[in-house]
Amino acid sequence: MSLPHPLLYPLASAAQIAQTLSRADALPAWLEEDLRAEGCRLIQSAGILLGAPQVVMATAQVLFQRFWYVTSMREFSVSQIAMGALYLASKLEEHIARMRDIINIFDLLLSRLRYSLAHPDSPLDSFKYTPMSYFSNEYYTYKDELIIAEMQLLKRLAFNVQVQLPYNTMVNYLNVLGLGRVEGLAQKAWGFLNDALQTPVYAVYPFPTIACASIHLAAREIGVCLPEPPEREPWWALFDADLEDMEQVCGWVLRLYRKQDEEEREVVHNLILGGRREVRKWLDERARQADV
Amino acid sequence: MNYIQLEKLGEGTYATVYKGRSRATNEIVALKEIHLDPEEGTPSTAIREISLMKELNHPNILHLHDVIHTENKLVLVFEYCEQDLKRYMDTHGVRGALDPATVRSFMYQLLRGTAYCHDNRVLHRDLKPQNLLINRKGELKIGDFGLARAYGVPVNTYSNEVVTLWYRAPDVLMGSRNYDAAIDIWSCGCIMAEMITGMPLFRGRDNPDQLLAIMKIIGTPEDRVIKKMAQETPDIQFKTYPRFPKVPWPNILPGASAQACDLIDRLLQFDPTSRPNALDALFHPYFTDPTAHHPNSTNVPQPVPVGVMPAPVFHMLPNGQSVYMPQPSNAPGTRAAAPQPYQYAAMNDPNMARHPAYSEQGHPPPFAGQPIHPPQYAQVPAYAYGQHVHPQAHMPAQAAPQQQQQQQQPQQPAVYPVPGYPQYPGR
Ligand SMILES: Nc1ncnc2c1ncn2[C@@H]1O[C@H](COP(=O)(O)OP(=O)(O)OP(=O)(O)O)[C@@H](O)[C@H]1O
Ligand SMILES: [Mg+2]
Repeated sequence: MSLPHPLLYPLASAAQIAQTLSRADALPAWLEEDLRAEGCRLIQSAGILLGAPQVVMATAQVLFQRFWYVTSMREFSVSQIAMGALYLASKLEEHIARMRDIINIFDLLLSRLRYSLAHPDSPLDSFKYTPMSYFSNEYYTYKDELIIAEMQLLKRLAFNVQVQLPYNTMVNYLNVLGLGRVEGLAQKAWGFLNDALQTPVYAVYPFPTIACASIHLAAREIGVCLPEPPEREPWWALFDADLEDMEQVCGWVLRLYRKQDEEEREVVHNLILGGRREVRKWLDERARQADV
Repeated sequence: MNYIQLEKLGEGTYATVYKGRSRATNEIVALKEIHLDPEEGTPSTAIREISLMKELNHPNILHLHDVIHTENKLVLVFEYCEQDLKRYMDTHGVRGALDPATVRSFMYQLLRGTAYCHDNRVLHRDLKPQNLLINRKGELKIGDFGLARAYGVPVNTYSNEVVTLWYRAPDVLMGSRNYDAAIDIWSCGCIMAEMITGMPLFRGRDNPDQLLAIMKIIGTPEDRVIKKMAQETPDIQFKTYPRFPKVPWPNILPGASAQACDLIDRLLQFDPTSRPNALDALFHPYFTDPTAHHPNSTNVPQPVPVGVMPAPVFHMLPNGQSVYMPQPSNAPGTRAAAPQPYQYAAMNDPNMARHPAYSEQGHPPPFAGQPIHPPQYAQVPAYAYGQHVHPQAHMPAQAAPQQQQQQQQPQQPAVYPVPGYPQYPGR
């Protein structure tokens, strides 16, 4: 492909992928995966309420995912880093958000989550949000957290905050493959790219691989034939992708759609609300139980 | 801090630049101090500047050695340069005008640095004499990437508030938000004319006035051209403008060679798609024609070696393989496939306060007419920091910088601003 190459962007190293720091701290893999996904959904919802363009939310989710390759969830709260990543992405993508708006929106989302956990049977419409007062301590606590989160993101990622999103690349690939006009294919693949933001793939695989994986998955869903390997070179080789990597990406995305166990969901929500303190408590509790 | 702060070198809108000396190596550096605002966190200009400059390594790009991040400020450690181009013109020029050989050398270096940025999908968006630095050897380095951005595949529209007014391209003045590398090319053209005459070429008071100032010199484009631009760029509205004829370049640039005039004419095309890219511009006869050589320069900068083609911009991958050796776009040649991003190794920095943006030895050889070495990418450690450190652990440890270490240096004569030299408007 004769596409100009983009600025280099960082990917996690093999060692960082083999064992994340959260897992080294004994956080189970499923829980880390769910907490990451929940944090991304928080970013997405907050961005929508903020009225930010999708590129801001997408960038924020990639930065958020990168961060957990260099930090354990014992050390920082998921919601705090989600907030920091959204703020940082709003600066990178030239739609700077006001700190106060981000804080208010996260407070609203977290309050709503707290409410729905406390009242599992009442509908969400019955939730009434009371905004923080302008100079409340609560606000200043959030603000300190936000500043620390932004700074830690920059520090720990060593300012590697350039993000390459694969959306346009995916559309280009479809056109190259002559599939640009297949009804629904591009939309489907686009949707998978959106959903993939909730998984770590953007921090792990080069963006052409992710674009190919979304096409692969979408074609399978819709039942479109792609040029198959025996005829010629496999189509993904054209874009420097590797089938095994693509299947991995598909696996991450498909795991998002599995039905979540109720109990597990509650653990995830509690840990989101309680932050790193709750994560520590949960881990210590589990270690104690294992000892018994 | 590992650097001793010496005298102040300059002040920008969000940073103060000091001369500094490394305690370890005695090397003279420039320290750009950025204050962290408790209301805004880290300025987005600093985020851009660091995240992009740490990826760029080229003899004509100011080299970022290091970043020191403390609780309330960020210090970027850059290679030291004697002067910025504006001050160079004030001190070395005849009423600001530089001799032809110097102009040619600086233009060559400016375009080469710009070509390298564009090849790496980085738009500078604020090229102007104050942001170009000149060192003792006459090397020009592009600095101040505070407004730069990566422009991969255009997904979104960009800010319209870029480029200091006098160097802003007409398409941006007309509202374009999906501009590309051509906006930097326009600025290069403005800078070239300014080096020849000693005066900024287009000096508007505000956005519409700037557009008129441009049309008064390069002429109002035909409606056909503006219609085409409006068609290609949704943000540009078709409008009829007062008709100005084109002023011949020799009237504006007295004494400039025909080739210099021709290059400026190409760089300053109203329609962005008509401007050459930076790499093509390097192959213009102004640089390649032996008869364009002016041997009677007394100034430091070396003229471009005649007959030597500009070195192609290319990249070394960590495995030693090099990719993308572009030819001028009219020559036959192919582009290699996009290189895979690297798997970054964790960097073991125990206090995480320092991020060596590059390894210490990563200094490119000086440009003095020899062929230029390819940029070395492999040294860029990134995605560093795998260490477990408590979030606050490193913060108090940072010693306050040595404010009082001001060394008494002989006072430079005040050459700036020079009377009659128009003040640069802010952004
Ligand atoms: N490496 C250097 N060596 C010597 N002087 C320098 C160096 N870097 C910057 N300066 C001086 O400091 C001035 C301001 O630097 P710079 O343009 O990087 O700051 P800024 O705050 O980004 O400016 P701006 O107002 O354009 O945003 C420059 O114009 C130059 O005179
Ligand atoms: Mg500047």
